[in-house]
Parts: sequence; C-alpha cells; structure tokens
Amino acid sequence: MIYYIYDGSFEGLLTSIYDSFYRREYPDKIVSDDNFQPNLLIEAVHIKTDSEKASKVYNSIKNKISSSALENIFYVFLSEVENNEKIIYNYLRLGWKLENKIDLYLSDDRVLTVHKIVRRVKNERHRMLGLIRFRYLDKNTYYAPIEPQYNIIGLVAPHFTKRLSDQNWIIHDVNRKIAAVYDKREWYITDFKLNRELKYSDEEIFFQDLWKQYFNSIAIKNRINPRLQKRNMPMKYWKYLIEKS
Amino acid sequence: MELKKKLEILSAAAKYDVSCSSSGSTRKNKKGGIGNSHLSGICHSWSDDGRCISLLKILFTNNCIYDCAYCVNRASNDIPRATFTPEEVVSLTINFYRRNYIEGLFLSSAVFKNPDYTMELLLKTVKSLRTVYNFNGYIHLKAIPGADYRLISEAGTYVDRMSVNIELPSSNGLKLLAPQKNKESILKPMGFISTKIKENKDEKKIYRKPTTFVPAGQSTQLIVGATADSDLNILRLSENLYKRFNLKRVYYSAYVPVSDSPNLPAISSPPLLREHRIYQADWLLRFYGFSANEILDETNQNLDTQLDPKCDWALRNIHLFPIEINRADYETLLKVPGIGIKSAKRIISARRIGPINYDTLKKIGVVLKRARYFITCQGKFYGERSMNQEKIKQSILFNNFKDNTFTYNQEQLSMFSLYPNLFNKEESLSVIVGEF
Repeated sequence: MIYYIYDGSFEGLLTSIYDSFYRREYPDKIVSDDNFQPNLLIEAVHIKTDSEKASKVYNSIKNKISSSALENIFYVFLSEVENNEKIIYNYLRLGWKLENKIDLYLSDDRVLTVHKIVRRVKNERHRMLGLIRFRYLDKNTYYAPIEPQYNIIGLVAPHFTKRLSDQNWIIHDVNRKIAAVYDKREWYITDFKLNRELKYSDEEIFFQDLWKQYFNSIAIKNRINPRLQKRNMPMKYWKYLIEKS
Repeated sequence: MELKKKLEILSAAAKYDVSCSSSGSTRKNKKGGIGNSHLSGICHSWSDDGRCISLLKILFTNNCIYDCAYCVNRASNDIPRATFTPEEVVSLTINFYRRNYIEGLFLSSAVFKNPDYTMELLLKTVKSLRTVYNFNGYIHLKAIPGADYRLISEAGTYVDRMSVNIELPSSNGLKLLAPQKNKESILKPMGFISTKIKENKDEKKIYRKPTTFVPAGQSTQLIVGATADSDLNILRLSENLYKRFNLKRVYYSAYVPVSDSPNLPAISSPPLLREHRIYQADWLLRFYGFSANEILDETNQNLDTQLDPKCDWALRNIHLFPIEINRADYETLLKVPGIGIKSAKRIISARRIGPINYDTLKKIGVVLKRARYFITCQGKFYGERSMNQEKIKQSILFNNFKDNTFTYNQEQLSMFSLYPNLFNKEESLSVIVGEF
C-alpha cells in the first residue's frame, strides 16, 4: 500500500497530486503528517511541498477543468472530512478526463460526493454569517468565538471586512485554535489562544441583556415550536449564542 | 421608562408582523460607514416559535388611534403602552448590528395622533440612521396608510423595502373587523409605491447616479383565519398583487386569538397547517408557473390539508401524467410533485451527458416517494400502482404517515376539522364572503 504523506497545507496536497502523476503511481491514501500512523504494510512516500509544482497543478485545474472545479476542491479541502484528500484526487483525475463537463456528471459518485461536501461547507458558512456573535472588548475591538464543524473561518472573514469595516474584530475558531483578525485595513489568519477569561464591560452586558429580552419577547407563545427552531439553528452552535447560553 | 421595558413592550407588539426577510438589496458599505446588505438575506437567529430573526423588528409606538378587532394594539385593549424616541431606535440598531445580532431594522408603528405625525417620526429615524450614522444595513419600513405621499416618497429613498399591510383578504372582512380602515386607503399607498419603484427603475437607465427608491421592493401581509374567506379568494388576491403591484412577497399569518370580540372566531390555537398550505401554494404561484385558478377551482375552494397543493393538483389532473424524465421540458418537470426548482435544474444539466436512470434521480435529490407515481424513467414506470387517483393518494398519505413527516400535524388536523363548525356559530361572519 502506498501512502502519500504531506504537510497538511493546500499547496502540499496539490504537490502530492503533481508527484503522483509524475511518478505514475496511484496512492492508496493521501494523509497529512499529523494524521499518519506508520505500520509495516505501508510504503510511505513523504511529499515535500513545492510551490512551483503546486501552482502548476492549480493552473491546470483552472485552465483544463474549470474554476468552479478549483473552488469545489478547495471547499472539500476545508471540510476536513475523513479522507478528503482522496476524494479530491479522484475527482480531479476524472476532471482531467472530462474537462469542463465534469460538474454535469451528477450520476457519478466521485462528482456527487464532492458536490455534497461542498454544499455542506457552503451551508455552514452561510449559517455562520448570521450566527457569529461579537462581544465588545475595548478600544473599538470586537471578539467572536465560534466552533464550526468545518474550517470556514477564512470564508466568513471577507464578509465582515466589508460589513464591519470601521471596527477591529477577531473571529476565533476555538477548536482549531486559529483566528481571523481584522485591523480596519486588512485581515489575516493567525494562531490564537485566549490565556484568561474575558471580562465584559457594563455596556456590553447591557446590550447582551437587551438582546436576550428582544429574543424572548419576539416569540409568539401560541406557536412555540422547538423542533423547527433546532432544525434551523442546530444545538451544536448554541454554546456561543448570547441568546441561548 | 427604561429602555429594556420599552423594548419588551414594543417588540412583543411587533411580533405578529411576519415579514422578516432581508433579501433583495445590494446596498454597499460606504467609506467610514457601517453595514451592507446581502442579496440573499441572512438569518441571524431563530426564536422559540421557530421563526427566523433577521431584522430588529419593533414598533415605534403601540399607542394606536384605531380599534381593529384582530389586533393586539387596538385602542380599547388594556395593555402597557410605550413609545421610542428616534435616538433610542438608532442606538439599538447600531449596537445590535455591530455585534452581528441583526441584519438591519424593521420599523413599523401603530398610528399615533394621526398618520402624518407617525410617518414623520419613522422618517426621522431612518433618515438619521442613513445620513448621520452612515448606516448601510437593511431597513424595512412600514408605510402608514393615510400619510402624506411626500413623506412616504422621501422615506422610500432611505429604505430597502417598504410594505403596507392588507390585513384582511376581503373588504367585507375589513368592514367587520377594522371599520376605520377600508380597501382604498390600503391599496392607494401600495399603488403609489409600486409606481415610484417603476419610475425609479426607468430613471436608472438614464442617469448615472440616480437616487434609489425601495430597491428591495414591496411586500404585504394578510391574516388567515380571522374571516371566512376561502383559500381560493386569498390566492386570487395574492396573484393580483404580484401581477398588478409587482410585490416581492405576500406574507400570511395564521390568526392568533388576541381578543374575544364577538366578530372573531373563537379558536384555541392558530390555524398553522392552513397557513403552511397557503405558503406552499404561494410558492407555486411565484416559482412554479401555476395560476390561482389551476391550484383551486370553484368546486375545491380550499386547499387539501392532508396533501400539499402540488400533489393535490397533480392527482386532480392525473391525465397529464406520467411524464418521461428524459424528455420533459423544464416547465413540465416543475409540475411534478417531488421535483423542485433545484432538482429540475439538475435533471436538465445531467441530461446533457446521457439519459438519466432511476438511481440517478434519487442521487439528484428528487423526492421519489411522491414523484415516482407521476414519472417514467427511460420508459419504465416505478409507481407500483396503476394511474388511479385514489390509490396513489392513499399510498402517498401512507408514506407520509410512515416517515413521521406529519406527526406533529396530527393534532392540528383534528383542530382544523373543528374549525368550520366554529365559524358557523358566528352569524355575523356569514356575511363575509369576499372578493377583494
């Protein structure tokens, strides 16, 4: 069994795909080095990330398949679902055969799997645009902790740079220990950890309180429907919602 | 009065307004400003009744000069009253927006003193949000019927969406339950806004930087189940509103018993299932190419509560089916129960590659438990039954029951069957049959 081990970056994955074609090999699995557990049966090939190789693959996908295929595999990469590297690999192999018609092959499982994952990531991204809750800290800075299922922090940040362009903000992915930080000029993703619990000002507590009040009084008591509420707003997101925690 | 108390009263007073969408506008942020709008709209939370919260939905005041029987804010009702100041509304909106609680503001109001005075207050609030605070988020404003057109027209340049509520689906209903309002006073401002929107669209073709006027369009709302109007009348009304006034949406709200006026039906809970079916029919009007007279006719004036309107229509027109998935055009595909906009589009694009088989249909997302009775796939019929209306209906209902799709509706069904009986008790209501 041939395993390709790469560094976990998108460039690393593209390099693995390049090498697989160059070596005329069909890897049984592509895994990032933190997920790799060696054993006797595995022939491990360590892939060295090479930005030149990566950009060749990148351009080839864009020009020979389509830019929406490129977008799709990036979403699948961010989904971090199990074995997503191989899903991407299979989809691209098919893509170089079918070219820009690939996304019409809805009956093919390789295409269908990709589309399903893309839809789930896009859905979570859209949901997060609404469910992120900023808390005011100090000096025009707002902080929002989230625990999304997929790695969507970089997908939501551009939305907030346009919308809340005159305030500093941090969107913190608590589980992945990363954050998107914006300083009124540009945004970037960085490693991030809170060292102590945050204390909020009276003003912040005041508005949180008003929001909870609003949330409660807007519901029509004769129509209470927790099932519908949970379907639209799954409980896994409730932890950081002001109105639900 | 404390701000929190005011918010409690005035948001509770606004909760019967259903509209909460924040879609349809492409307003961009300006330099140094705050906010923008998102074309498809964004929901920010879901309240305990399962309805989405997208906008900060409040009344400016619940002091009302009118005494409409169905309304919780009617003058004769003994409830606490409050009035915001424009500054308070602005501060709430901006602070909620900065924390990403909301997508914008939905500002409505009871009629305080007189329509002009109320409209002036609303105008002052939205004007200050846009010009002083540079707020570019979504604003939905209620136009107060009877207010001066100059006020409505100025407000229109600041907001994204405007609406005038029709309230009741027939003029007889209005006469009985809201004697101070009439059909003309509601339709006139609606017509005015729709003409202004059209003028503005034409202006945009000529000038480079025209002022915007209600870019996200106009909507309205009516109450279902407070009068004896049939579903057919309601759908005909909606169809006319979509065609004549180019409305973006008509919202329906199941009547929630808020008063024991003798003119109102005495029900214990709102007719939610009926509301749901009317919404489904509304979607058929707007996106599926149906007309009101197709969905219902004089012999079937009300929607079937057990089946969705499209299924019901297909069963009544069983002679049009089955259709071949690989050959039918888009419009025909849309009329098959179990095939929606998305799956119809997917079928069309997958067909470009090769014929579609039954398995692919399932993968594409077609709801086969309904669709299979109405289609053939490469010439083969998968329905297990003959094309018999009654038999198909029984199997579909049995499937719904098996999947628990409708368990929560079970008790509502029983409530609903009581509903016509309750109406008959009210003699005064028998006069309300209506054409609008």
